[in-house]
Amino acid sequence: MLRLYATFVKELQLLLKDKTGLTVLFIMPVMLVIIMTLIQNEVYKSLNETGIPVLLVNHDKGRLGTAIEDGFLQNAVCQLTVDHGETYTSTQAVQQKVLDGEFLVALVIPENASSILQEDVEGMMDAFLAGDTTISTTDIFQEIHFQIIVDPVARKSFVIAISSTLREMVSAVKTKVMFELISGKMNNLMGAERDIDIPDADFFIFDEVSAVASKGDTYVPNAVQHNVPAWAIFSIFFIVLPLAGSIISEKSTGVYMRMHTFPGNYLSILSGKLLTYILVAFAQFVMVILLGVYVMPAMGLPHLDVGHHLLAMFILTVAVAASAVSYGFLVGTVFDTPQQSAIFGGISVLIMSALGGIWVPLNIMPPLMQQIANLFPLNWALKGYYELFIKDGGWAEIQLQVLKLSLFFVLAVGLSYYFYRVKRKLD
Amino acid sequence: MNKNPIITVKELYKSYRKKDKNALNGISLEIESGEVFGLLGPNGAGKTTFFSILCGLLLPTSGEVIVNQLSLSQSMQQVKKIIGVVPQEIALYPTLSGKENLLFIGRMYGLSGKTLHNRVDELLTTFGFDENRNAAVKSYSGGMKRKINLIGGILHRPKILLLDEPTVGIDVHSRIAIMQFLKTFNREHETTIIYTSHHLEQAEQFCDQVAIINEGIVLTQDTPQALKQMHQCKDLEEVFISLTGKKITA
Repeated sequence: MLRLYATFVKELQLLLKDKTGLTVLFIMPVMLVIIMTLIQNEVYKSLNETGIPVLLVNHDKGRLGTAIEDGFLQNAVCQLTVDHGETYTSTQAVQQKVLDGEFLVALVIPENASSILQEDVEGMMDAFLAGDTTISTTDIFQEIHFQIIVDPVARKSFVIAISSTLREMVSAVKTKVMFELISGKMNNLMGAERDIDIPDADFFIFDEVSAVASKGDTYVPNAVQHNVPAWAIFSIFFIVLPLAGSIISEKSTGVYMRMHTFPGNYLSILSGKLLTYILVAFAQFVMVILLGVYVMPAMGLPHLDVGHHLLAMFILTVAVAASAVSYGFLVGTVFDTPQQSAIFGGISVLIMSALGGIWVPLNIMPPLMQQIANLFPLNWALKGYYELFIKDGGWAEIQLQVLKLSLFFVLAVGLSYYFYRVKRKLD
Repeated sequence: MNKNPIITVKELYKSYRKKDKNALNGISLEIESGEVFGLLGPNGAGKTTFFSILCGLLLPTSGEVIVNQLSLSQSMQQVKKIIGVVPQEIALYPTLSGKENLLFIGRMYGLSGKTLHNRVDELLTTFGFDENRNAAVKSYSGGMKRKINLIGGILHRPKILLLDEPTVGIDVHSRIAIMQFLKTFNREHETTIIYTSHHLEQAEQFCDQVAIINEGIVLTQDTPQALKQMHQCKDLEEVFISLTGKKITA
């Protein structure tokens, strides 16, 4: 126990005197989390809070144009700018504004759309009342061309979603206007004054409910919920650099030799190092989480919701820290110079984080890459935190990820010991 | 031979991979408890290999080493507890202070609390460290580093002290002070000191018994005085020349 304490104290002293190591371990995560969250928050914010910037150019002076305009004004998803042809007289002018990035999408309602629709409905009613046995709407109805102009840099899936929403909205308004025109015509023919109040909203109502029961339908994913755990994991794995560097510098000096002359197993000395770095990794995680919970809201960023299962979060974090430290041990054992370990350790963590969904969310990766992501411990860790923070899962939901991380730890420590034995035999 | 050997070495061989010649070629010797024993020879003679086997860093290819009536191969951990090691290389953390390094080493040998702190402070004072005991080792001179390296080996008052070229690279004044301290330490604590060096003049003054080693073989073993008389030489350097036909520094 005394030996463990001795190694723990010594490692802490070494770390506290290593300014570069401390910067990598504690300043880098803070910078990364804040910068990446601020950048990505603007994207989330534009979609979630202020809405999609939409330009509605309404050249129609009738009921159809007014009804579409009202429909947009009631839609919270849109950050609407309405123009009646005063500013945007041509399609080219609208295209330019979208290209400039001022609007993500623009809808142009053509001139006389309402009167054309009215003529069409009246034509259809006249044909019906004249006793025509076959009424062809394609012969009667004239085409009304709406223009939807979208930003070319917008993702295709997003464009499809926006176009569908616009079509749906215009279609609903068109139906309502047609129904009002038909009922007006019927009243004229029958000499009646029956007023049918047609609601603006559809009769079929689709309630969007979050799959996460406890968060209700108010939960909206945000940049903080992804970036805080993602960059915390990345930073924890960056412990590879100072840890492997520390192991290699011991190996390359007389200290390593002295270590082997101390009574007791060398593995017990390494356990002290292991414990120290696991605690450091844990401290990194707590620091980043506190940043998300208390500091980010003060910076105008969303608040981090850590779910309700703190014990599960503790266990998962210990598993993540242990796997990161074991990886550092492996790198420090296999390589012989600080340069080799720094290059391999740094690049391998970068690659694992890119493939594991730290940089780019998994759901936008191709299927093959998503399969590959499953191979990396950073991905297992991220999935675990998603379960806890986003899906409000508990121990049952993270067991598999904890098991995978624990197996990785055992494998990496086992391999480190194997390489240590091989290298000693070569002495 | 000696009556009360604390170390007995029988037919010790060591070969390294990718090297044709054996580093040790059947060394046999006995070291008596409480004596200062010098293992002398030129660079590459096998001194450091022998030293590394004694302190558990290397396993011998064959042969047997008995330390304090314990077989080294079977009771390595018990043997390590009674051995103190002062390696030739500076075995210290450069960013930690001299005191922090020594506190760590002391704890690794089972010392703690006041005993540890008092002993560290006492030895640092003996070796002339004042405020600089709390400065980083990397800021020390070569001589200061050597002194801390030495204190690390004697902190737990071992029964056997292994010194591998402990005064390499330091000035004459510091060297004399260190050797005098070690002689006193040997008398006060009855510590057996095994000392490897290629400085024969220094060894002649310091050692009770010496073994001259060359190419992994012990050429001769006796007191410095007896060796000089036996070979009719005025110093150990001449003894070495008469045995090998070459100078030790060659």
